Amino acid sequence: MIRYRWILLVFIVFGALIFSELAEQPALTNADKVHRIADDLACPVCDGQSVAESDVPIAQAIRTEIARMVDEGFTDSAIRSDLVSRFGEDIDYTPKQSGLTGLVWLIPILAGVLAVFLLASTLRKWQGENPFKVVTIKNRRLPVLLFVLGVPVVAWILIAQFTGNRGANDFPTGDIPSSTRTLLIEAQTASDENKILLYNEVLVIQPSNVEALTYRGWTFWRTGNSEAARNDFTAAIEIDPTYPDVRVFRASQLFADGNYEEASENLIDLDALEAPPIVWDLLSNSKLRERTAAALAAQGELVKALQLLDSGILRDAEDASLLAERGWLLANTFEPNLIEAAIESLDTALVLEPTHPHALAYRSLVRFVLLEDELGAAADIEKFKELMNPPELLVQLLETQGLLN
Amino acid sequence: MSPTRVTAAVVGVVVLILVGVLATRDSGDDRINTYLIGEAAPQIKAQTFEGELWDLDDQRGRWVVVNFFSTTCIPCIQEHPHLVNFAENHKQNDDVRIVTISFSDTEAAVEEFFRLNGGDWPVLTSETERVAVDWGVVAVPESYLVSPAGFVAAKVVGGVTQDYLEDLLQEARNR
Repeated sequence: MIRYRWILLVFIVFGALIFSELAEQPALTNADKVHRIADDLACPVCDGQSVAESDVPIAQAIRTEIARMVDEGFTDSAIRSDLVSRFGEDIDYTPKQSGLTGLVWLIPILAGVLAVFLLASTLRKWQGENPFKVVTIKNRRLPVLLFVLGVPVVAWILIAQFTGNRGANDFPTGDIPSSTRTLLIEAQTASDENKILLYNEVLVIQPSNVEALTYRGWTFWRTGNSEAARNDFTAAIEIDPTYPDVRVFRASQLFADGNYEEASENLIDLDALEAPPIVWDLLSNSKLRERTAAALAAQGELVKALQLLDSGILRDAEDASLLAERGWLLANTFEPNLIEAAIESLDTALVLEPTHPHALAYRSLVRFVLLEDELGAAADIEKFKELMNPPELLVQLLETQGLLN
Repeated sequence: MSPTRVTAAVVGVVVLILVGVLATRDSGDDRINTYLIGEAAPQIKAQTFEGELWDLDDQRGRWVVVNFFSTTCIPCIQEHPHLVNFAENHKQNDDVRIVTISFSDTEAAVEEFFRLNGGDWPVLTSETERVAVDWGVVAVPESYLVSPAGFVAAKVVGGVTQDYLEDLLQEARNR
């Protein structure tokens, strides 16, 4: 009876350990999930490389497809079985557990049982006893001993395999690394110096973690290490051209470098992506698109400036700020037919947002200077005067034209 | 029976099973070449480089050659004149249509290639990576013959010739 209690105790202790470790697994980011699934699938055309490691076009396409399915909420097993159904079972590093392939799982167990059997029988033989006596009811000492030893070993292997981010090929000993998700969350509230250390840690675990690369790059940029920032942004875009956050940061960096054309290209690329609202808020608050368009227009690249604004308007037809900037750029051409389009754009902006400061200021100037519509301009100026804290640059612009005292 | 004999018997059975499995399964190449055949053709709904939406479902009632292609792939360039001739041969009867899906290529390069080398069939340039994954394409060129009922009748991994396509079509029609 005492023996059974020991077995029960071992079960409870190690069962609780396994359960707690598995239950405390922090949620993975979508990028983590994509990497994990891609890492567990073989590239269909390259020997010895996983889909995560390979750069051949079909591996890239599969990664994109995995990312799409993860974003749409498909489970890991659904994604895996979908891809296996398209490319065949050979791409699955985890063989299925049924049919002939199931032998891959069964054979090691059979081999293990056989090994234990042989070990037991040999030990008994050395003691001069009948080897088969070990399985009799009366003498259960050896099986019990093996069982008691076996449970911790199995528990140890399970915990080591499923805890943190230990890779499939890592030896299951040593410190248990934190999950990349935990590190990324910690980095959000860390000091700049610690942010970089945490992102470094994530990148040691998962070198292709786009989120870590992007935000480490952004931290480098904010702390003045522009070269390191550029390298991180470039690497992040190469790994995942569809990660929207890096496009905004990259565009911001290019704008600061005076490379307005490439900044514009990154923003146009961003428009084609499904970005979370926070990215659009960031872009809108920073007025990066409007500033880039204005800079392009100042360089004589009016068409590119308008393309950039139109790309944003196409994505969000109710963005009054972009419509106002578009109207202003068109008006500055002084071409009669474009001035008409300019007024139309400014009117639309003010219908959408009647107190938009830029739209009011720009329309008043266009009316006053180009259309000689003093009444219309005065009406806009009256509304502008009612604004709380209008942008100082707009106030100066109106003052220089004599519209504001 | 002694433990040694039991061990030998078990190992023997396992080895026999493994040999049986390995000897009777298809080779990797066979699996690649036969995958999708007899299955419903995966959906293709994408834009051509002229900006028109093309849908495989709209082609029901006629045979379709679905060709995956890239301007940077030599066998794709070599097979192109054969596809042009094949398309020309079936133009009057309009019984077979071709659709090319550019894979891992730029729209400008594909457009220029078709302008220089001919081929007036639809060429899809958007969402093509997704289509390639849906069809389990591993490398270009790959071509599929889709039946009027929408099932994959044949698959060719590598470049095709006009004669080979005609034979495949005839064979599929006779089935």
